Amino acid sequence: MVKLTAAQRQDIFAHALEGRPNEVCGLLGGREGRVHKVYRTRNKANSPVRYEIEPQDLIRCHLELEANDMELVGIYHSHVFSEAYPSNTDVRLAYYPDALYLLVSLMDDGNPILRAFRILKAQPTDERGEIAEVPIEVEAAEL
Amino acid sequence: MVKVYIPTVLRKITNGQTRVEAEAADIRSLLDRLEARFPGLKGQLVDSQGNLFRFVNVYVNNREVDELQGLGTPLREEDEVALIPAMAGGAVGGAFSLEQGLRYARHIILPEIGGQGQRKLLRSKVLLIGAGGLGSPAALYLGAAGVGTMGIVDFDTVDLTNLHRQILHGHKNIGRLKVDSARETVNDINPDVQVVPHREALTSANALEIIGQYDLVVNGCDNFATRYLANDACYFLKKPLVDGSIFRFEGQATVFMPGKGCYRCLFPAPPPPGAVPSCAEAGVLGVLPGIIGVIQAIETIKLILGLGEPLVNRLLLFDSLAMEFREVKIRRAPDCPLCGDNPTVTELIDYEAFCGGPMATTGG
Ligand SMILES: [Zn+2]
Repeated sequence: MVKLTAAQRQDIFAHALEGRPNEVCGLLGGREGRVHKVYRTRNKANSPVRYEIEPQDLIRCHLELEANDMELVGIYHSHVFSEAYPSNTDVRLAYYPDALYLLVSLMDDGNPILRAFRILKAQPTDERGEIAEVPIEVEAAEL
Repeated sequence: MVKVYIPTVLRKITNGQTRVEAEAADIRSLLDRLEARFPGLKGQLVDSQGNLFRFVNVYVNNREVDELQGLGTPLREEDEVALIPAMAGGAVGGAFSLEQGLRYARHIILPEIGGQGQRKLLRSKVLLIGAGGLGSPAALYLGAAGVGTMGIVDFDTVDLTNLHRQILHGHKNIGRLKVDSARETVNDINPDVQVVPHREALTSANALEIIGQYDLVVNGCDNFATRYLANDACYFLKKPLVDGSIFRFEGQATVFMPGKGCYRCLFPAPPPPGAVPSCAEAGVLGVLPGIIGVIQAIETIKLILGLGEPLVNRLLLFDSLAMEFREVKIRRAPDCPLCGDNPTVTELIDYEAFCGGPMATTGG
């Protein structure tokens, strides 16, 4: 289970829509499965079918998470033309066994879809792994 | 001493340590030092040629070493090194290429089809008997829809008199084999489709072998001998048969599911030779096969996807002059010579003799 607010989800959708036709990516910092902050990062790959978090953004986020005593709850990215489901590439390049992988699908751009998965591999460098969906709980924004 | 930040992924190797310290002049020697203390660590970071794996970002004082001097980046006292696996991925390598994602986008967003359904279509294998009047619209739409493998059986060549209805073929293709012309047209619309040409007539000798390679059969033949042959072969092989036929201004379509009735249940015996004129003799409204062939294409897609109510045990009759569709319930006949309780047809027979007419395998 991963918990985020409607506003955070909206922020992720907005990021994905602004980034079209390229994929966008970012990190979710938080504690115990609850997202506290959405970090938008740059997509070094600049591609509609690939993403790689800009290394400079990656370390900045790592340091900020550490400074604020937050965990890396999840890594999100968009699929512009396909489903919100990890591709083979997503599985192959999943090196964060403890983080959730969140995918936004823009196939129906009027109705973006967000889903979360855990990608389980014996070794982080394995090419293949199991994909387990994790439910997302969207909470109303705090007043 | 250099301080090294170890990411979660690698902490199994460093016995859970988040930060380790080491003495080293550059990144390369640092990795060697770390390997000596934590065997297996280097193998996670560099390949057998000694190059950094692309998925690991190495930082010195928060700057990535790619921007510095790579593995040769010098290290000084108190430098901070961070090893952080990349976060990367993307839709490429998924079920669809970018082009496929766009091509099938309007299918994929239908919840009833989705990416899973589209993948089923791409994996499906459909055989068209005849690349004529019925086969033309069926092939065009099934190809456009992304039916991955499309076999076409037809021995005939394109004739000028075909062109008022057989829209797979163009004027420039007169004289060419219909299967070759069909393949070109279908691939022009959708290069994803593997069109398998069977440049021969469907006969008792080859029917089981050809039909056996496919998931289901779309019947667009124009003669009784082939119609009975396709019916019997599909029944023996347990393949669904999406049937259609046309005559002057009227057409009909149905789906025969093995065990739920067949063409012989409706017509145990063919009409006497010459009793029913062919398209060439009787004429046919050119648009008519468009309607019936497209209904066959829809039924084919529904069967592949397990969608909706298939046209099974129902014979759909279309009258273009009245512009009227009617439906007749049909069912398995217990006395059917093929699929009845006491079948007499237990293998493929001589269909030309049975029907008293030669076989042709092209749409009417
Ligand atoms: Zn029968």
